[in-house]
Amino acid sequence: MKKILETVCGLLSGAALFAIMALTFFDVGGRKLLDHSIPGSFELTELLMVVVIFGAIPLVSQHGEHVVFDSLDSYLPEGVRRAQGIIVHFLIGTALIALGYLMFKTGQQFAINGDNTAQLKIDKAPFIYGMGLLSAITGLVHFGLIFKPADDLADAGTEHSGAAL
Amino acid sequence: MIEALLGFAAIFALALLRMPLAFSMGLVGIVGIGLTRGWDPALASTAQVVYETGFAYTLSVIPLFILMGNFVARAGLAHELFAAAYAFIGHFRGGLAHATVAACAGFGAICGSSIATAATMSKVAYPSMKKLGYSDSLATGVMAAGGTLGIMIPPSTIMVIYGIITETNIGKLFAAGVIPGILTALMMMGAIVYMTSKDPEHAPAGKRSTWSERWAALRGIWGVVLLVFVVLGGIYGGLFTATEGAGFGAAGAFLFALARRRLTWAILFQVLVESARTTAMLFTLLIAATIFANFVNFTTMPNDLKEWITHLGLSPVLIITAMMLIYIVLGTVMEELTMVLLTIPLFFPIVTALGFDPVWFGVLIVMIVQIGLISPPVGMNLFVINTLLPKVGLSNIFKGCWPFVLTMIFVLGLLIAFPQLSLWLPSLMK
Repeated sequence: MKKILETVCGLLSGAALFAIMALTFFDVGGRKLLDHSIPGSFELTELLMVVVIFGAIPLVSQHGEHVVFDSLDSYLPEGVRRAQGIIVHFLIGTALIALGYLMFKTGQQFAINGDNTAQLKIDKAPFIYGMGLLSAITGLVHFGLIFKPADDLADAGTEHSGAAL
Repeated sequence: MIEALLGFAAIFALALLRMPLAFSMGLVGIVGIGLTRGWDPALASTAQVVYETGFAYTLSVIPLFILMGNFVARAGLAHELFAAAYAFIGHFRGGLAHATVAACAGFGAICGSSIATAATMSKVAYPSMKKLGYSDSLATGVMAAGGTLGIMIPPSTIMVIYGIITETNIGKLFAAGVIPGILTALMMMGAIVYMTSKDPEHAPAGKRSTWSERWAALRGIWGVVLLVFVVLGGIYGGLFTATEGAGFGAAGAFLFALARRRLTWAILFQVLVESARTTAMLFTLLIAATIFANFVNFTTMPNDLKEWITHLGLSPVLIITAMMLIYIVLGTVMEELTMVLLTIPLFFPIVTALGFDPVWFGVLIVMIVQIGLISPPVGMNLFVINTLLPKVGLSNIFKGCWPFVLTMIFVLGLLIAFPQLSLWLPSLMK
Protein backbone atom coordinates (compact mmCIF):
# COMPACT_ATOMS: atom_id res chain seq x y z
CA MET A 1 0.00 0.00 0.00
CA LYS A 2 2.79 2.36 1.00
CA LYS A 3 4.66 1.57 -2.21
CA ILE A 4 1.58 2.28 -4.33
CA LEU A 5 1.09 5.60 -2.55
CA GLU A 6 4.76 6.54 -3.07
CA THR A 7 4.66 5.61 -6.76
CA VAL A 8 1.30 7.12 -7.69
CA CYS A 9 1.70 10.34 -5.71
CA GLY A 10 5.38 10.64 -6.70
CA LEU A 11 4.59 10.26 -10.40
CA LEU A 12 1.64 12.62 -10.17
CA SER A 13 3.43 15.44 -8.37
CA GLY A 14 6.84 14.92 -10.00
CA ALA A 15 5.47 14.86 -13.54
CA ALA A 16 3.33 17.93 -12.85
CA LEU A 17 6.35 19.80 -11.50
CA PHE A 18 8.44 18.88 -14.53
CA ALA A 19 5.57 20.03 -16.75
CA ILE A 20 5.41 23.41 -14.97
CA MET A 21 9.15 23.85 -15.47
CA ALA A 22 9.00 22.97 -19.17
CA LEU A 23 5.87 25.05 -19.71
CA THR A 24 7.37 28.15 -18.08
CA PHE A 25 10.64 27.71 -19.97
CA PHE A 26 9.05 27.38 -23.40
CA ASP A 27 6.36 29.95 -22.74
CA VAL A 28 8.76 32.63 -21.49
CA GLY A 29 11.41 31.74 -24.07
CA GLY A 30 8.81 31.85 -26.84
CA ARG A 31 7.37 35.14 -25.61
CA LYS A 32 10.69 36.92 -25.17
CA LEU A 33 12.60 35.51 -28.12
CA LEU A 34 10.01 34.62 -30.75
CA ASP A 35 7.17 36.88 -29.66
CA HIS A 36 4.96 33.82 -29.45
CA SER A 37 3.70 32.42 -26.14
CA ILE A 38 1.99 29.10 -25.39
CA PRO A 39 -1.79 29.70 -25.28
CA GLY A 40 -3.25 29.18 -21.81
CA SER A 41 0.12 28.56 -20.18
CA PHE A 42 -0.86 30.60 -17.09
CA GLU A 43 -3.95 28.56 -16.41
CA LEU A 44 -2.21 25.27 -17.20
CA THR A 45 0.44 26.20 -14.63
CA GLU A 46 -2.31 26.96 -12.10
CA LEU A 47 -3.94 23.57 -12.65
CA LEU A 48 -0.59 21.78 -12.52
CA MET A 49 0.27 23.53 -9.26
CA VAL A 50 -2.77 21.90 -7.69
CA VAL A 51 -1.47 18.51 -8.82
CA VAL A 52 2.05 19.20 -7.49
CA ILE A 53 0.86 20.36 -4.07
CA PHE A 54 -1.98 17.96 -3.38
CA GLY A 55 -0.24 15.05 -5.09
CA ALA A 56 2.71 15.39 -2.72
CA ILE A 57 0.88 16.11 0.55
CA PRO A 58 0.24 12.40 1.30
CA LEU A 59 3.99 11.81 0.86
CA VAL A 60 4.87 14.67 3.21
CA SER A 61 2.65 13.11 5.87
CA GLN A 62 3.88 9.59 5.17
CA HIS A 63 7.50 10.71 5.66
CA GLY A 64 6.71 12.83 8.74
CA GLU A 65 7.99 15.94 7.02
CA HIS A 66 5.60 18.55 8.39
CA VAL A 67 7.24 21.22 10.52
CA VAL A 68 6.93 20.22 14.16
CA PHE A 69 8.21 21.72 17.37
CA ASP A 70 10.16 18.75 18.65
CA SER A 71 12.58 20.37 21.10
CA LEU A 72 10.80 18.74 24.03
CA ASP A 73 11.06 15.22 22.60
CA SER A 74 14.23 14.27 24.41
CA TYR A 75 12.69 15.24 27.78
CA LEU A 76 9.50 13.21 27.37
CA PRO A 77 9.16 9.52 28.23
CA GLU A 78 8.29 7.19 25.37
CA GLY A 79 4.77 6.58 26.72
CA VAL A 80 3.94 10.28 26.62
CA ARG A 81 5.32 10.66 23.10
CA ARG A 82 3.31 7.63 22.02
CA ALA A 83 0.12 9.17 23.45
CA GLN A 84 1.00 12.48 21.77
CA GLY A 85 1.42 10.71 18.44
CA ILE A 86 -1.93 8.95 18.71
CA ILE A 87 -3.84 12.13 19.64
CA VAL A 88 -2.10 14.31 17.06
CA HIS A 89 -2.51 11.87 14.16
CA PHE A 90 -6.14 11.24 15.09
CA LEU A 91 -6.86 14.98 15.13
CA ILE A 92 -5.03 15.65 11.86
CA GLY A 93 -6.59 12.63 10.17
CA THR A 94 -10.07 13.76 11.17
CA ALA A 95 -9.37 17.37 10.12
CA LEU A 96 -8.05 16.29 6.71
CA ILE A 97 -10.97 14.00 5.98
CA ALA A 98 -13.29 16.86 6.94
CA LEU A 99 -11.31 19.12 4.60
CA GLY A 100 -11.68 16.50 1.89
CA TYR A 101 -15.46 16.59 2.35
CA LEU A 102 -15.42 20.42 2.31
CA MET A 103 -13.46 20.47 -0.95
CA PHE A 104 -15.77 17.83 -2.43
CA LYS A 105 -18.77 20.08 -1.66
CA THR A 106 -16.87 23.05 -3.12
CA GLY A 107 -16.14 21.00 -6.23
CA GLN A 108 -19.87 20.23 -6.58
CA GLN A 109 -20.54 23.97 -6.46
CA PHE A 110 -17.94 24.56 -9.18
CA ALA A 111 -19.51 21.81 -11.29
CA ILE A 112 -23.01 23.27 -10.91
CA ASN A 113 -21.76 26.75 -11.82
CA GLY A 114 -19.76 25.32 -14.73
CA ASP A 115 -16.63 27.22 -13.58
CA ASN A 116 -13.79 26.82 -16.04
CA THR A 117 -10.52 28.46 -17.01
CA ALA A 118 -10.74 31.67 -19.03
CA GLN A 119 -8.78 30.71 -22.13
CA LEU A 120 -8.75 26.93 -22.54
CA LYS A 121 -12.18 26.41 -20.91
CA ILE A 122 -10.94 23.51 -18.79
CA ASP A 123 -13.41 22.57 -16.02
CA LYS A 124 -12.05 23.37 -12.58
CA ALA A 125 -14.37 21.03 -10.69
CA PRO A 126 -12.32 17.83 -11.29
CA PHE A 127 -9.27 19.55 -9.82
CA ILE A 128 -11.22 20.62 -6.73
CA TYR A 129 -12.53 17.05 -6.38
CA GLY A 130 -8.89 15.92 -6.67
CA MET A 131 -7.91 18.30 -3.85
CA GLY A 132 -10.66 16.76 -1.72
CA LEU A 133 -9.71 13.19 -2.57
CA LEU A 134 -6.01 13.69 -1.89
CA SER A 135 -6.75 15.56 1.37
CA ALA A 136 -8.87 12.62 2.50
CA ILE A 137 -6.15 10.15 1.46
CA THR A 138 -3.66 12.19 3.52
CA GLY A 139 -6.10 11.93 6.42
CA LEU A 140 -6.04 8.15 6.04
CA VAL A 141 -2.24 8.22 5.99
CA HIS A 142 -2.35 9.95 9.39
CA PHE A 143 -4.77 7.32 10.71
CA GLY A 144 -2.26 4.71 9.56
CA LEU A 145 0.52 6.54 11.41
CA ILE A 146 -1.37 6.16 14.70
CA PHE A 147 -0.10 2.59 14.83
CA LYS A 148 3.58 3.50 14.32
CA PRO A 149 5.96 3.40 17.31
CA ALA A 150 6.89 6.70 19.00
CA ASP A 151 10.46 6.76 17.67
CA ASP A 152 9.22 6.51 14.10
CA LEU A 153 6.74 9.30 14.79
CA ALA A 154 9.56 11.56 15.91
CA ASP A 155 10.93 11.41 12.38
CA ALA A 156 12.59 14.00 10.25
CA GLY A 157 9.99 16.74 10.54
CA THR A 158 12.29 19.64 11.21
CA GLU A 159 15.00 18.21 9.02
CA HIS A 160 12.80 18.41 5.97
CA SER A 161 11.49 21.85 6.80
CA GLY A 162 15.12 22.82 6.57
CA ALA A 163 15.14 21.86 2.90
CA ALA A 164 12.95 24.90 2.41
CA LEU A 165 15.44 27.06 4.23
CA MET B 1 -7.38 41.62 20.86
CA ILE B 2 -8.12 38.95 23.49
CA GLU B 3 -9.40 36.51 20.83
CA ALA B 4 -6.19 36.82 18.81
CA LEU B 5 -4.00 36.41 21.89
CA LEU B 6 -5.94 33.27 22.80
CA GLY B 7 -5.39 32.09 19.24
CA PHE B 8 -1.62 32.51 19.53
CA ALA B 9 -1.66 30.77 22.91
CA ALA B 10 -3.64 27.87 21.42
CA ILE B 11 -1.14 27.51 18.56
CA PHE B 12 1.77 27.38 20.99
CA ALA B 13 -0.05 24.85 23.14
CA LEU B 14 -0.82 22.62 20.15
CA ALA B 15 2.73 23.02 18.82
CA LEU B 16 4.11 21.95 22.20
CA LEU B 17 1.88 18.87 21.99
CA ARG B 18 3.81 18.10 18.77
CA MET B 19 0.94 19.01 16.47
CA PRO B 20 2.57 20.09 13.16
CA LEU B 21 2.59 23.87 12.89
CA ALA B 22 0.51 23.91 9.72
CA PHE B 23 -2.33 22.02 11.37
CA SER B 24 -2.05 24.03 14.60
CA MET B 25 -2.41 27.32 12.71
CA GLY B 26 -5.09 26.04 10.36
CA LEU B 27 -7.26 24.53 13.08
CA VAL B 28 -6.94 27.55 15.37
CA GLY B 29 -7.72 29.86 12.44
CA ILE B 30 -10.86 27.92 11.45
CA VAL B 31 -12.11 27.59 15.04
CA GLY B 32 -11.28 31.26 15.68
CA ILE B 33 -13.26 32.46 12.66
CA GLY B 34 -16.03 29.99 13.52
CA LEU B 35 -16.40 31.31 17.06
CA THR B 36 -16.13 34.99 16.18
CA ARG B 37 -17.91 35.13 12.79
CA GLY B 38 -19.89 31.90 12.54
CA TRP B 39 -19.18 28.43 11.15
CA ASP B 40 -20.50 28.98 7.63
CA PRO B 41 -18.12 31.89 6.96
CA ALA B 42 -15.30 29.86 8.57
CA LEU B 43 -15.82 26.87 6.26
CA ALA B 44 -16.44 29.02 3.19
CA SER B 45 -13.29 31.10 3.76
CA THR B 46 -11.25 27.93 4.43
CA ALA B 47 -12.35 26.36 1.14
CA GLN B 48 -11.61 29.62 -0.64
CA VAL B 49 -8.09 29.89 0.82
CA VAL B 50 -7.34 26.27 -0.07
CA TYR B 51 -8.31 26.50 -3.72
CA GLU B 52 -7.03 30.03 -4.27
CA THR B 53 -3.61 29.12 -2.86
CA GLY B 54 -3.55 25.93 -4.92
CA PHE B 55 -4.51 27.70 -8.14
CA ALA B 56 -2.15 30.69 -7.77
CA TYR B 57 0.15 31.10 -10.78
CA THR B 58 2.54 33.47 -9.00
CA LEU B 59 3.16 30.89 -6.26
CA SER B 60 4.71 28.53 -8.81
CA VAL B 61 7.89 30.53 -8.10
CA ILE B 62 8.30 28.39 -4.95
CA PRO B 63 8.55 24.90 -6.49
CA LEU B 64 10.57 26.23 -9.41
CA PHE B 65 13.29 27.77 -7.23
CA ILE B 66 13.33 24.67 -5.03
CA LEU B 67 13.70 22.53 -8.14
CA MET B 68 16.48 24.75 -9.47
CA GLY B 69 18.39 24.39 -6.19
CA ASN B 70 17.98 20.60 -6.19
CA PHE B 71 19.14 20.27 -9.82
CA VAL B 72 22.10 22.56 -9.14
CA ALA B 73 23.10 20.47 -6.11
CA ARG B 74 22.99 17.34 -8.31
CA ALA B 75 24.85 18.95 -11.21
CA GLY B 76 28.08 19.05 -9.18
CA LEU B 77 28.68 22.75 -9.86
CA ALA B 78 29.86 23.20 -6.26
CA HIS B 79 33.18 21.43 -6.97
CA GLU B 80 34.10 23.92 -9.66
CA LEU B 81 33.09 26.86 -7.49
CA PHE B 82 35.24 25.63 -4.65
CA ALA B 83 38.19 24.93 -6.98
CA ALA B 84 37.97 28.43 -8.45
CA ALA B 85 37.76 30.10 -5.03
CA TYR B 86 40.67 27.99 -3.77
CA ALA B 87 42.81 28.85 -6.80
CA PHE B 88 42.59 32.54 -5.93
CA ILE B 89 42.63 32.63 -2.14
CA GLY B 90 43.72 29.17 -1.00
CA HIS B 91 47.33 30.23 -0.37
CA PHE B 92 46.39 32.58 2.48
CA ARG B 93 46.37 31.36 6.06
CA GLY B 94 42.96 29.73 6.49
CA GLY B 95 42.69 29.78 2.70
CA LEU B 96 40.46 26.72 2.49
CA ALA B 97 38.04 28.27 4.98
CA HIS B 98 37.99 31.50 2.95
CA ALA B 99 37.46 29.48 -0.23
CA THR B 100 34.56 27.65 1.42
CA VAL B 101 32.84 30.93 2.30
CA ALA B 102 33.43 32.29 -1.22
CA ALA B 103 32.15 29.07 -2.80
CA CYS B 104 29.08 29.14 -0.51
CA ALA B 105 28.37 32.71 -1.64
CA GLY B 106 28.65 31.64 -5.29
CA PHE B 107 26.51 28.57 -4.69
CA GLY B 108 24.00 30.74 -2.85
CA ALA B 109 23.54 32.73 -6.05
CA ILE B 110 22.10 29.69 -7.80
CA CYS B 111 20.50 27.91 -4.85
CA GLY B 112 17.93 29.36 -2.47
CA SER B 113 18.45 26.95 0.39
CA SER B 114 20.83 27.24 3.31
CA ILE B 115 20.64 23.55 4.13
CA ALA B 116 21.39 22.48 0.55
CA THR B 117 24.34 24.88 0.43
CA ALA B 118 25.79 23.64 3.74
CA ALA B 119 25.20 19.98 2.85
CA THR B 120 26.75 20.34 -0.60
CA MET B 121 29.77 22.24 0.71
CA SER B 122 30.40 19.75 3.47
CA LYS B 123 30.94 17.08 0.82
CA VAL B 124 33.17 19.34 -1.28
CA ALA B 125 35.23 21.31 1.26
CA TYR B 126 35.54 19.14 4.37
CA PRO B 127 37.82 16.44 2.89
CA SER B 128 40.31 19.11 1.72
CA MET B 129 40.26 20.92 5.06
CA LYS B 130 40.71 17.66 6.97
CA LYS B 131 43.66 16.71 4.74
CA LEU B 132 45.44 20.00 5.48
CA GLY B 133 44.92 19.59 9.22
CA TYR B 134 42.17 22.13 9.84
CA SER B 135 40.53 21.82 13.24
CA ASP B 136 37.11 20.17 13.09
CA SER B 137 35.45 23.05 14.88
CA LEU B 138 36.70 25.65 12.40
CA ALA B 139 35.95 23.46 9.36
CA THR B 140 32.39 22.64 10.41
CA GLY B 141 31.71 26.16 11.72
CA VAL B 142 32.70 27.63 8.36
CA MET B 143 30.52 25.20 6.41
CA ALA B 144 27.49 25.71 8.65
CA ALA B 145 27.83 29.50 8.61
CA GLY B 146 28.77 29.71 4.92
CA GLY B 147 25.71 27.62 4.09
CA THR B 148 23.43 30.30 5.47
CA LEU B 149 24.59 32.62 2.66
CA GLY B 150 22.35 30.47 0.46
CA ILE B 151 19.26 32.26 1.77
CA MET B 152 20.57 35.83 1.83
CA ILE B 153 22.16 35.84 -1.60
CA PRO B 154 19.27 35.51 -4.07
CA PRO B 155 17.43 33.42 -5.06
CA SER B 156 16.11 32.64 -1.61
CA THR B 157 13.21 30.44 -0.58
CA ILE B 158 12.64 32.27 2.70
CA MET B 159 12.50 35.61 0.84
CA VAL B 160 9.84 34.16 -1.46
CA ILE B 161 7.82 32.97 1.54
CA TYR B 162 8.18 36.36 3.26
CA GLY B 163 7.26 38.12 0.00
CA ILE B 164 4.12 36.02 -0.37
CA ILE B 165 2.82 36.33 3.19
CA THR B 166 3.50 40.08 3.39
CA GLU B 167 2.72 40.84 -0.28
CA THR B 168 6.17 42.36 -0.78
CA ASN B 169 7.78 42.43 -4.24
CA ILE B 170 9.97 39.31 -4.50
CA GLY B 171 12.26 40.80 -7.16
CA LYS B 172 13.02 43.76 -4.88
CA LEU B 173 13.63 41.43 -1.94
CA PHE B 174 16.12 39.48 -4.06
CA ALA B 175 17.92 42.67 -5.04
CA ALA B 176 17.95 43.78 -1.41
CA GLY B 177 19.77 40.60 -0.35
CA VAL B 178 22.78 41.05 -2.63
CA ILE B 179 24.81 43.61 -0.66
CA PRO B 180 23.97 42.16 2.80
CA GLY B 181 24.91 38.72 1.44
CA ILE B 182 28.28 39.89 0.15
CA LEU B 183 28.85 41.90 3.34
CA THR B 184 28.10 38.83 5.47
CA ALA B 185 30.53 36.74 3.41
CA LEU B 186 33.27 39.37 3.83
CA MET B 187 32.63 39.62 7.57
CA MET B 188 32.82 35.83 7.87
CA MET B 189 36.18 35.97 6.13
CA GLY B 190 37.21 38.66 8.63
CA ALA B 191 36.22 36.31 11.45
CA ILE B 192 38.31 33.55 9.87
CA VAL B 193 41.33 35.90 9.68
CA TYR B 194 40.89 36.69 13.38
CA MET B 195 40.49 33.04 14.39
CA THR B 196 43.39 31.79 12.31
CA SER B 197 45.69 34.50 13.62
CA LYS B 198 45.03 33.20 17.14
CA ASP B 199 45.36 29.55 16.21
CA PRO B 200 47.54 29.42 13.07
CA GLU B 201 48.51 25.73 13.16
CA HIS B 202 44.89 24.63 12.81
CA ALA B 203 44.35 26.43 9.53
CA PRO B 204 47.50 26.24 7.42
CA ALA B 205 47.81 27.95 4.05
CA GLY B 206 47.36 25.90 0.91
CA LYS B 207 49.71 25.98 -2.08
CA ARG B 208 49.68 29.07 -4.27
CA SER B 209 48.12 28.44 -7.69
CA THR B 210 49.69 29.75 -10.87
CA TRP B 211 47.74 32.23 -13.00
CA SER B 212 47.20 29.59 -15.67
CA GLU B 213 45.67 27.29 -13.01
CA ARG B 214 43.50 30.18 -11.86
CA TRP B 215 42.16 30.91 -15.35
CA ALA B 216 41.55 27.21 -15.88
CA ALA B 217 39.57 27.08 -12.60
CA LEU B 218 37.58 30.16 -13.61
CA ARG B 219 36.63 28.53 -16.90
CA GLY B 220 35.07 25.73 -14.86
CA ILE B 221 32.43 28.01 -13.37
CA TRP B 222 30.95 29.33 -16.61
CA GLY B 223 27.79 27.33 -15.94
CA VAL B 224 27.20 29.04 -12.61
CA VAL B 225 27.94 32.47 -14.07
CA LEU B 226 25.54 31.87 -16.96
CA LEU B 227 22.73 30.74 -14.64
CA VAL B 228 23.23 33.73 -12.33
CA PHE B 229 23.40 36.11 -15.30
CA VAL B 230 20.25 34.79 -16.96
CA VAL B 231 18.07 34.27 -13.88
CA LEU B 232 19.01 37.11 -11.55
CA GLY B 233 20.08 39.49 -14.34
CA GLY B 234 16.76 38.83 -16.03
CA ILE B 235 14.78 39.53 -12.86
CA TYR B 236 16.73 42.68 -11.92
CA GLY B 237 16.77 43.93 -15.49
CA GLY B 238 13.00 43.68 -15.68
CA LEU B 239 13.17 41.03 -18.40
CA PHE B 240 11.57 38.37 -16.21
CA THR B 241 9.19 38.23 -13.30
CA ALA B 242 10.51 36.16 -10.38
CA THR B 243 8.28 33.25 -11.50
CA GLU B 244 9.56 33.36 -15.07
CA GLY B 245 13.17 33.63 -13.85
CA ALA B 246 12.62 30.63 -11.59
CA GLY B 247 11.23 28.58 -14.51
CA PHE B 248 14.19 29.52 -16.68
CA GLY B 249 16.62 28.79 -13.87
CA ALA B 250 15.11 25.38 -13.09
CA ALA B 251 15.18 24.39 -16.77
CA GLY B 252 18.76 25.69 -17.10
CA ALA B 253 19.90 23.76 -14.03
CA PHE B 254 18.14 20.65 -15.38
CA LEU B 255 19.97 21.00 -18.71
CA PHE B 256 23.31 21.43 -16.89
CA ALA B 257 22.75 18.33 -14.79
CA LEU B 258 21.74 16.46 -17.95
CA ALA B 259 24.74 17.67 -19.94
CA ARG B 260 27.11 16.69 -17.13
CA ARG B 261 25.57 13.20 -17.08
CA ARG B 262 24.50 13.55 -13.45
CA LEU B 263 20.91 12.54 -14.10
CA THR B 264 19.56 9.04 -14.40
CA TRP B 265 15.81 8.41 -14.55
CA ALA B 266 15.91 7.40 -10.89
CA ILE B 267 17.76 10.56 -9.83
CA LEU B 268 15.46 12.76 -11.93
CA PHE B 269 12.43 11.14 -10.28
CA GLN B 270 14.01 11.59 -6.85
CA VAL B 271 14.81 15.28 -7.48
CA LEU B 272 11.31 16.00 -8.78
CA VAL B 273 9.54 14.20 -5.94
CA GLU B 274 11.79 15.73 -3.26
CA SER B 275 11.08 19.17 -4.68
CA ALA B 276 7.35 18.45 -4.84
CA ARG B 277 7.37 17.26 -1.23
CA THR B 278 9.16 20.37 0.00
CA THR B 279 6.66 22.42 -2.02
CA ALA B 280 3.69 20.59 -0.52
CA MET B 281 5.05 21.00 3.00
CA LEU B 282 5.49 24.74 2.40
CA PHE B 283 2.06 25.16 0.84
CA THR B 284 0.41 23.39 3.75
CA LEU B 285 2.07 26.01 5.94
CA LEU B 286 1.11 28.86 3.61
CA ILE B 287 -2.52 27.79 3.47
CA ALA B 288 -2.66 27.45 7.25
CA ALA B 289 -0.84 30.74 7.81
CA THR B 290 -3.36 32.49 5.51
CA ILE B 291 -6.33 30.97 7.36
CA PHE B 292 -4.84 32.05 10.68
CA ALA B 293 -3.97 35.53 9.35
CA ASN B 294 -7.60 35.90 8.17
CA PHE B 295 -8.72 35.16 11.72
CA VAL B 296 -6.22 37.66 13.21
CA ASN B 297 -7.36 40.30 10.70
CA PHE B 298 -10.98 39.78 11.81
CA THR B 299 -9.94 40.70 15.37
CA THR B 300 -8.90 44.12 16.59
CA MET B 301 -5.35 42.97 17.26
CA PRO B 302 -3.52 44.56 14.28
CA ASN B 303 -5.03 47.99 15.01
CA ASP B 304 -4.66 47.66 18.79
CA LEU B 305 -0.99 46.76 18.42
CA LYS B 306 -0.37 49.67 16.05
CA GLU B 307 -2.05 52.11 18.44
CA TRP B 308 -0.24 50.68 21.45
CA ILE B 309 3.15 50.97 19.77
CA THR B 310 2.39 54.52 18.55
CA HIS B 311 1.30 55.60 22.04
CA LEU B 312 4.43 54.16 23.63
CA GLY B 313 6.34 56.95 21.91
CA LEU B 314 9.51 54.84 21.65
CA SER B 315 12.03 55.40 18.90
CA PRO B 316 11.10 53.16 15.93
CA VAL B 317 14.67 51.89 15.63
CA LEU B 318 14.55 50.88 19.29
CA ILE B 319 11.38 48.88 18.62
CA ILE B 320 13.00 47.13 15.65
CA THR B 321 16.08 46.39 17.75
CA ALA B 322 13.88 44.92 20.50
CA MET B 323 12.12 42.74 17.90
CA MET B 324 15.48 41.50 16.62
CA LEU B 325 16.62 40.64 20.13
CA ILE B 326 13.44 38.63 20.65
CA TYR B 327 14.13 36.85 17.34
CA ILE B 328 17.74 36.06 18.27
CA VAL B 329 16.58 34.44 21.52
CA LEU B 330 13.70 32.60 19.83
CA GLY B 331 16.06 31.42 17.08
CA THR B 332 18.19 29.50 19.55
CA VAL B 333 15.29 27.25 20.56
CA MET B 334 12.79 27.39 17.70
CA GLU B 335 12.84 26.06 14.19
CA GLU B 336 13.22 29.14 11.99
CA LEU B 337 10.32 28.63 9.57
CA THR B 338 7.98 28.22 12.54
CA MET B 339 9.36 31.35 14.11
CA VAL B 340 8.88 33.46 10.98
CA LEU B 341 5.38 32.21 10.18
CA LEU B 342 4.18 32.68 13.74
CA THR B 343 5.62 36.11 14.31
CA ILE B 344 5.17 37.88 10.97
CA PRO B 345 1.39 38.38 11.40
CA LEU B 346 2.22 40.00 14.74
CA PHE B 347 5.26 42.11 13.85
CA PHE B 348 4.68 43.07 10.22
CA PRO B 349 1.73 45.47 10.83
CA ILE B 350 3.82 47.21 13.51
CA VAL B 351 6.78 47.55 11.16
CA THR B 352 4.69 49.09 8.39
CA ALA B 353 2.84 51.33 10.90
CA LEU B 354 6.22 52.64 12.04
CA GLY B 355 6.89 53.61 8.43
CA PHE B 356 9.65 51.09 7.70
CA ASP B 357 10.19 49.58 4.28
CA PRO B 358 8.88 45.96 4.14
CA VAL B 359 11.81 45.07 1.87
CA TRP B 360 14.31 46.18 4.54
CA PHE B 361 12.43 44.26 7.24
CA GLY B 362 12.47 41.22 4.95
CA VAL B 363 16.27 41.36 4.80
CA LEU B 364 16.45 41.63 8.59
CA ILE B 365 14.19 38.58 8.86
CA VAL B 366 16.47 36.61 6.52
CA MET B 367 19.50 37.60 8.59
CA ILE B 368 17.65 36.50 11.74
CA VAL B 369 16.91 33.14 10.10
CA GLN B 370 20.58 32.85 9.10
CA ILE B 371 21.62 33.42 12.71
CA GLY B 372 18.98 30.98 13.98
CA LEU B 373 20.17 28.29 11.59
CA ILE B 374 23.58 28.17 13.30
CA SER B 375 22.59 29.09 16.87
CA PRO B 376 22.93 26.19 19.32
CA PRO B 377 21.19 24.23 20.62
CA VAL B 378 18.54 24.19 17.85
CA GLY B 379 20.30 25.17 14.63
CA MET B 380 19.30 23.29 11.52
CA ASN B 381 22.62 23.74 9.68
CA LEU B 382 24.48 22.37 12.69
CA PHE B 383 22.31 19.24 12.69
CA VAL B 384 22.77 18.75 8.96
CA ILE B 385 26.56 18.99 9.24
CA ASN B 386 26.39 16.62 12.23
CA THR B 387 24.34 14.12 10.21
CA LEU B 388 26.78 14.26 7.30
CA LEU B 389 29.94 14.22 9.47
CA PRO B 390 28.90 12.20 12.55
CA LYS B 391 32.51 11.66 13.70
CA VAL B 392 33.06 15.37 14.32
CA GLY B 393 30.55 15.53 17.18
CA LEU B 394 27.94 18.17 17.90
CA SER B 395 30.01 19.85 20.65
CA ASN B 396 32.83 20.57 18.18
CA ILE B 397 30.34 21.96 15.69
CA PHE B 398 28.75 24.15 18.38
CA LYS B 399 32.21 25.42 19.35
CA GLY B 400 33.03 26.30 15.75
CA CYS B 401 29.86 28.22 15.01
CA TRP B 402 29.90 30.77 17.86
CA PRO B 403 32.35 33.21 16.23
CA PHE B 404 30.12 33.24 13.16
CA VAL B 405 26.95 33.75 15.20
CA LEU B 406 28.55 36.83 16.77
CA THR B 407 29.75 38.04 13.35
CA MET B 408 26.25 37.76 11.93
CA ILE B 409 24.74 39.59 14.90
CA PHE B 410 27.22 42.38 14.14
CA VAL B 411 26.12 42.39 10.48
CA LEU B 412 22.49 42.51 11.64
CA GLY B 413 23.39 45.63 13.65
CA LEU B 414 24.90 47.18 10.53
CA LEU B 415 21.78 46.36 8.48
CA ILE B 416 19.58 48.02 11.12
CA ALA B 417 21.83 51.08 11.38
CA PHE B 418 22.27 51.50 7.62
CA PRO B 419 19.06 50.53 5.77
CA GLN B 420 20.62 51.70 2.50
CA LEU B 421 22.78 48.57 2.53
CA SER B 422 19.55 46.70 1.77
CA LEU B 423 17.53 49.34 -0.03
CA TRP B 424 19.99 50.89 -2.46
CA LEU B 425 19.94 48.08 -5.07
CA PRO B 426 16.11 47.68 -5.10
CA SER B 427 15.82 51.44 -5.61
CA LEU B 428 17.67 51.04 -8.91
CA MET B 429 15.28 48.38 -10.22
CA LYS B 430 12.99 49.11 -13.13
